[in-house]
Amino acid sequence: MTSYFIRRILQMILVVFISAIASYALLNLAPGGPLAGLRQIQQSSRFQITEDDIARIRAYFELDLYLPFRFTRWLIGEPRGPLVIGGQQYFSDLTVGCRRPVESEVLNDRGQYEFVVTGCNEYVYMKDLVGRRTSRGVLLGDFGLSWRLLRDRPVADLIVSRLPKTIQLIGISTILSLLIGLPLGVYSAVKQYSRFDYFFTSLAFMGSAMPTFFFGILMILAFSIIPKDAGWPYLPPGLSESVRGYTIPVIGDVEAGSIKDRILHLILPVGVLTIFNIAFWSRYIRSSMLEVMRQDYVRTARAKGLGERIVVLKHALRNALIPFVTIVVFTLPGLFSGAIITESVFAWPGMGRLYLLALGDYDYPVAMAIFFILAILTVIATLMRDVLYTVVDPRIRLS
Amino acid sequence: MSAAQVASLSAEAVTIEERSPLQIVLNRFRRHRLAMVSLVIMTVIFFITILAPYIAPFTVQELSVNKYFVPFGTVDEETGRVHYLGTDHIGRDYFSRLIYAGRISLTVALLSVIIAESIGIIVGAISGFFGGIVDNVLMRFVEFMLTIPQLPLLLIISSMLLRNEELIPIPIPVLDFVGGIMLLDTRDARSAVLIILILAGFGWLAAAQLMRGMVLSLREQTFVEASRSLGASNFRIITRDMIPNAMAPIIVDASLGLASYVVAEAALAFLGFGIQDPIPTWGNMLAASQTYMLDRPWLPLVPGLPIFLCSLAFNYIGDGLRDALDPRLKL
Repeated sequence: MTSYFIRRILQMILVVFISAIASYALLNLAPGGPLAGLRQIQQSSRFQITEDDIARIRAYFELDLYLPFRFTRWLIGEPRGPLVIGGQQYFSDLTVGCRRPVESEVLNDRGQYEFVVTGCNEYVYMKDLVGRRTSRGVLLGDFGLSWRLLRDRPVADLIVSRLPKTIQLIGISTILSLLIGLPLGVYSAVKQYSRFDYFFTSLAFMGSAMPTFFFGILMILAFSIIPKDAGWPYLPPGLSESVRGYTIPVIGDVEAGSIKDRILHLILPVGVLTIFNIAFWSRYIRSSMLEVMRQDYVRTARAKGLGERIVVLKHALRNALIPFVTIVVFTLPGLFSGAIITESVFAWPGMGRLYLLALGDYDYPVAMAIFFILAILTVIATLMRDVLYTVVDPRIRLS
Repeated sequence: MSAAQVASLSAEAVTIEERSPLQIVLNRFRRHRLAMVSLVIMTVIFFITILAPYIAPFTVQELSVNKYFVPFGTVDEETGRVHYLGTDHIGRDYFSRLIYAGRISLTVALLSVIIAESIGIIVGAISGFFGGIVDNVLMRFVEFMLTIPQLPLLLIISSMLLRNEELIPIPIPVLDFVGGIMLLDTRDARSAVLIILILAGFGWLAAAQLMRGMVLSLREQTFVEASRSLGASNFRIITRDMIPNAMAPIIVDASLGLASYVVAEAALAFLGFGIQDPIPTWGNMLAASQTYMLDRPWLPLVPGLPIFLCSLAFNYIGDGLRDALDPRLKL
């Protein structure tokens, strides 16, 4: 068991490390990036950008460093300067980057001219890194500074300000969908082939085929736009709270930012997420119940004269929950990424929307931080699922 | 029972009509009513999109100046053509764009499925058949890819690739081929090909795991043993014994995959990281309609319903195929 855990944790670290490298490489290897617009600006006469400006901007984004150094500075905050051992500096003349690359226009094989870096006028050496601003590294929980969305503010601030919104959304919808989905799935399994079962399973089937974004829009139409036009009570279509007060028929005046306002804004996004979770989870609990109801011990329980209620709730449900618990744990980090779409439909200011904004706006430190957090969450959930298997079902042994 | 009565039974009455496996499967499929309805609907949709240039009254990019959001069935006075579903926010015919978009969206889904399942079959078969270190390396890789959160990674990759379209060199004939199917020119086809590659790049993982599992169980079967004892090569065993016998779950997986690719492509386009606006897809039409739905509530329904319909239909077809091919099969 111990050796299994050690192996799994080593695997986890490897997975997180590789996905960090992968996402970093994806966002940093590609041409363009935050400097994409500079060349156009350079050509207009009003904003003359000098070579010095470009060198400074490149240094600001650390684009003047070579990729391996940039990556280790992002990951663990090193190197910050020459290695000092016993007062002696090492590697201080090591080239770590290029401050002024030489770009020349080259005819490529498609017959177009493009800028290609052909040399370097001024190199960056290890000793130049002393005193440069750097984060303590992602592994130590310091995600650096935001480039665009909140310029020069720590990424952690941005994430911390958005995280509660996402947790609110996911937490409420998870609890609701468990409370509603579990009984529905169990009832549907107990009354297999009844009219309710047919109705419910086909509804769940349709729900799982429905794209989230379209369903979200339908909900906005049905509960916000159409009732509002008709003069009926309606729900706000987006955001997490309104900017100014408004009046809803029957419900009355709603003050901006009040509890009432926030609850009204929560209903639609939570509703969408909840319905999707119910469609997925209740199908799962139904099939797992059906499986258990066929077991010998359920027949034994019935044979010894126990009431149907006790048979279902005590003998069957407890065993059906075993695979269900693990699937719930495993889908939890998936909910974060699933919330990306829901948050975007309802303009909900959570992590998922932040991720989209960051990707769209070249704010790579933010995007990479969120991706990194999601990757770690998923990996932890995978481990927890495997451990839970053994906890809830002693028949399974880890090896 | 007397001997005379037995003799009166003709041979035909007691013999069950011989049916090929295909007939049996088709018969069972026909019993799944919703799957049959879905099949009909999908056939109709496919025909409409194939005949798009003949059905669509307008072309994709054609602008009717000063005629934004005209109502259903407005007649274009100069040419006499009808805007069946009105026009969008810059005066392009909604109906024409919708069916061209269907052609693009469905082609993306189809090609992605074909590529993903082919890679999955090959990798899974190799992995399951040879076992050992090959299996270990391949399956660790697949498991690794599946532990990374899919949608965020998909978004990073597509945002990267769509901004630097030239990053992955794609041979011009491939672009022309895909562009030919989608009626796009070579330049526009590039982003569609990239989306296909991205979707297929993630899709083959599950197919490979599925195939590997099938091959592992088939490897122990006696007919494979018989093949080997007759001196068949590994290649022959894989292509003649393994792959055909493992096709049932792969076909089911493919038809369910079609549903998820249609949705995935639309989701990427909806979030702004898929195929971009001048090229119509259901996803980016839906995203555009969301901006205007406060005043025109029916607008999002037009591109949204086909996405839902296709997703639902492919799901039902997959369900029907699963029942037909192997009732015990559970994916």
